[in-house]
Amino acid sequence: MEQNAAYWITIAHIPKWNYAKINNLIKDIYIDNKSTIEDFFMLKADDWRERFKLNETDIESLINVKEQIPNNAFLAESLSNQGFEIIPIISPEYSKTLKENLKLTYSPPVLYVKGNKLLLQESSTAVVGSRAASEVSITFTDNIAKAASKDYKVIVSGFAKGVDKAALDSAIKHKGHSIIVLPQGILTFGSGFKKYYKQVIEGDVLVLSTFHPKVPWKPELAMARNPIIYGLAQNIYVAQSSEKGGTWSGVKDGLRKGRLIYVRNPEIGENVANDLLIKLGAKPVDMHGNEIVNAEDVDSIHHNQSESPNIDQQIQNVIQMKPYTAKEICAKIKCVWSTRKMADYLKQLAYIEVVKVGNSNKYCLKGQEGEQQTLNFD
Amino acid sequence: MSDYTKLTRFQAESILFRDFKIRTFYDTQWEAISRILNGERVLLIEKTGFGKSLCFQFPAIMFDGLTVIFSPLIALMRDQVNKLQALGITAKCINSNQTEDENNAIINEAKLNKLKILYIAPERQENSIWLEEVRNMKLSMVVVDEAHCISVWGHDFRPAYRRIINLVNLLPKSMPVIATTATATKRVEQDVAQQITGELKILRGNLVRSNFELYVIDVNSDDEKLIWLGENINKLSGTGIVYTGTIVNTEIISKWFEYLGISSRGYNGRLDSETRIEIEKGLIANKWKCVISTNALGMGIDKPDIRFIIHTQFPQSPVHYYQEIGRAGRDGKPTVIILLYNPQDRSLPEAFIEGAKPSIPKYHKIIEALKSEMLGEKELMKISNLRQTQFRVIKADLMDQGIIREIQIGKSKKYEFVPNSKPFDPALFEEVKKAKTAELESMIGYAESNDSRMKYLCTYLGDSLDYEYRNCDNTGLAKHFVSVTEDWVLKLNDFHETYFPILEVETKNSKIVNGVAASYYGASNVGSAIHRCKYENGGDFPDFLISLLLKAYRKRYGNERYDLILYIPPTVSGDLVRNLANKISGILKIPISHSIQKSRITKEQKVFENRYGKTDNVSNAFSITDTKLIVGKKVLLIDDIFDSGATIKEVGKYLTDHGAISIAPLVLAKTVGGDNV
Repeated sequence: MEQNAAYWITIAHIPKWNYAKINNLIKDIYIDNKSTIEDFFMLKADDWRERFKLNETDIESLINVKEQIPNNAFLAESLSNQGFEIIPIISPEYSKTLKENLKLTYSPPVLYVKGNKLLLQESSTAVVGSRAASEVSITFTDNIAKAASKDYKVIVSGFAKGVDKAALDSAIKHKGHSIIVLPQGILTFGSGFKKYYKQVIEGDVLVLSTFHPKVPWKPELAMARNPIIYGLAQNIYVAQSSEKGGTWSGVKDGLRKGRLIYVRNPEIGENVANDLLIKLGAKPVDMHGNEIVNAEDVDSIHHNQSESPNIDQQIQNVIQMKPYTAKEICAKIKCVWSTRKMADYLKQLAYIEVVKVGNSNKYCLKGQEGEQQTLNFD
Repeated sequence: MSDYTKLTRFQAESILFRDFKIRTFYDTQWEAISRILNGERVLLIEKTGFGKSLCFQFPAIMFDGLTVIFSPLIALMRDQVNKLQALGITAKCINSNQTEDENNAIINEAKLNKLKILYIAPERQENSIWLEEVRNMKLSMVVVDEAHCISVWGHDFRPAYRRIINLVNLLPKSMPVIATTATATKRVEQDVAQQITGELKILRGNLVRSNFELYVIDVNSDDEKLIWLGENINKLSGTGIVYTGTIVNTEIISKWFEYLGISSRGYNGRLDSETRIEIEKGLIANKWKCVISTNALGMGIDKPDIRFIIHTQFPQSPVHYYQEIGRAGRDGKPTVIILLYNPQDRSLPEAFIEGAKPSIPKYHKIIEALKSEMLGEKELMKISNLRQTQFRVIKADLMDQGIIREIQIGKSKKYEFVPNSKPFDPALFEEVKKAKTAELESMIGYAESNDSRMKYLCTYLGDSLDYEYRNCDNTGLAKHFVSVTEDWVLKLNDFHETYFPILEVETKNSKIVNGVAASYYGASNVGSAIHRCKYENGGDFPDFLISLLLKAYRKRYGNERYDLILYIPPTVSGDLVRNLANKISGILKIPISHSIQKSRITKEQKVFENRYGKTDNVSNAFSITDTKLIVGKKVLLIDDIFDSGATIKEVGKYLTDHGAISIAPLVLAKTVGGDNV
């Protein structure tokens, strides 16, 4: 265990200090003053004021947390005894990818980990996405995780249902490596350690948390955990996002920080917000994660997909029963196209016939009009 | 934190008198205290009675916050806390004998900074509530009492102390820490100093106890020990302690004293806490001539006037011996220290040393099991077929070598394999075993020495004092011997034939009653006679065993009438038990039935090392051909050896379920943990 573990636990969780503020102090201590955290806490308030240019409010919070160091020694001992490790931001074991991506402003000052910490130094890929993921998203996730595992890349995921779990499970299935980034304190993950026992002890999985070890799962932590997943990964793939929630805000946050993020190009009619993320600057990729390089490609894929027997079949299935409007057809087959786009598409299909019902156009199969009409009157 | 460094000795002593009613410090005490007040770390090695506790209790009341004292013995904690409370100092202890509510209330007081001193066992560091709550206490100092427990080279290594060392090393360097012990050889001293990182000041005093009168009395057998004790114990002045090597011997000696009308009580670590407290209190109040105990008693008991200590079995090393006799005569008045020495007794400590480590494959079994699954103690014991004591040794060793570790999953403790750990290395044990064998030889050297016994002990413990010792039977005091008179032989024989071990088997849902054995397996000639018959084709059990068994029967069940004799069908030893039961049936004129059968094949119970295995082995293993036979009957149930009791209990339960109204067990011998049947 890191000898100064009690100090690091203390400094990592100073109330009301954000990561940037804590990291700047660490930088002041280690780089600017060539000192150590232990020596820093031996200093008197006057030294803090003069050498570290700390204001009175900051000094007061530091005096308060200093009293916690012996107490945190008890926690550190318990962590160490159970095989948990504390990796401070100044340690060479700290993930370089994380530091590069999140800089001092957003990097957590301390990582709590258990498992193969060398995984922090390997190339990494994150697959993220919604908890209620569709089958196609899960297939995509499996494809990405499989390819990454083949390339000896670590899969980073957040241990949520849906895409996260699928990414982890397929990395394990394909004998790859994984980092699980927890939305909770690492001491509260007992059942998970039991479940992934073999993977952890065999060095295939690293469990990581940036929160106080004892804090239980909370929705806020799940949100706060997302940037860490993006930060730990060199490549980020989004399997599925809706227009709100963790994935959505996580990707937006990533894009704002200038990250390159790949989003699965949605199938026609898929009720997902992947399109919108692409519009915001994420790069579309196909089912195997290959980037779709320009707009024409996107269109052609859309085009191909739209002409695919798949969507035509769905349309046929729907209008077999009775004529529907373009809007109704969109709704029935869960297609995200505009009504106009659907109407245009329907009109150019050879087997479709347009029937006027009241003021609106309805579409049915050619030659079945009469029958359909009859049914309609029933 | 205030600045205590400016406190002068004079000022400190006025506080000392006000709060502790003591006028002055010894020089060494003051040196330790002033260093601690200065935030330093100290290892203090001083003999019992020196006043080590004051060296941390005084600074504790000076500091703003709480002093946490790790101490291995509940009795010691209780004594110290009572004493401090009597002085008006806010001291409490958390321990496993108190209810969870009591402990939680104390933790609360500590959190509110209402306590100055909190005693806890090192094992508490494994408790999740404690770890959660200690985060909210204002800590000023950490004390490691009995610090020799840190070292595997010490006489009382405790794995839980490893964690205490880790904790101390994680504490901020500015926090004062004091480790104390009365018994540390140079090697242990160095080991402790090396393990506690940072600057550590070692303060070592001399270990001479000049008020001791040390004797070694040669005996040739256990019977001679009983005779010597019977004849002489009442001649010693005051009250004292008789130490035995095993729990059974505490029982035998206290029954012997009871037979002779000598007031005494037996004590051992397996008694419930209420009984232990009652006996400790009685000892302090001189209620009996002596307490007969394993070495579980005494360490830290605050009785200044223990006037004699008699060992009926020599301990494993001179350090053990010094530690155990060190509990006597703390008031400085003359105190008699006797060792009843039979050279053959070396087999017991030798067995401890030899049997201290289970066989190597057992270690690998545990390691392999944990490589594929996270498991708890119960599961591991079942998988590995180990006795709890053995399992715990393995567990501690593997944890010590960093191969497995204990983790908390929710509320339960589990064990896991440590990835990338070094392979298990039994060679380390060999080294410890060699050292322990050498220590045992030194202990025997003490008994056989012709020189000053006190000097022998002090030199062994690293004292280099030049001193004229005149306080043993080699340096001026009279030699003592055992005299075996006919009168005493008769008394002893009579005792052997009237004292029978009880078999505790009663449970709620069975009509079985606590039974009786003719003897302990290991005692006198019973075990060897049984072994000959069972395993060396020695024929039927000899008549002396049968007449002893009948005596046991009459003593325990004299007035009861039994309707039927049944016996446990054997696994290996042929018709021995059947013939025994037949004879008993003939003599007592109680009808016998041969109808208990094994409904499936079992293994010999002795191959199972733990209760779980034994219980599983016999579970549903017995049936009776004609159950009508036992309805409404009082049954006398006969067997040869009573070990864990699992078989007798299983049959008792079966007979209860089929209508028997009382089942009374009667066996030849009861084994004692570790008996090799």
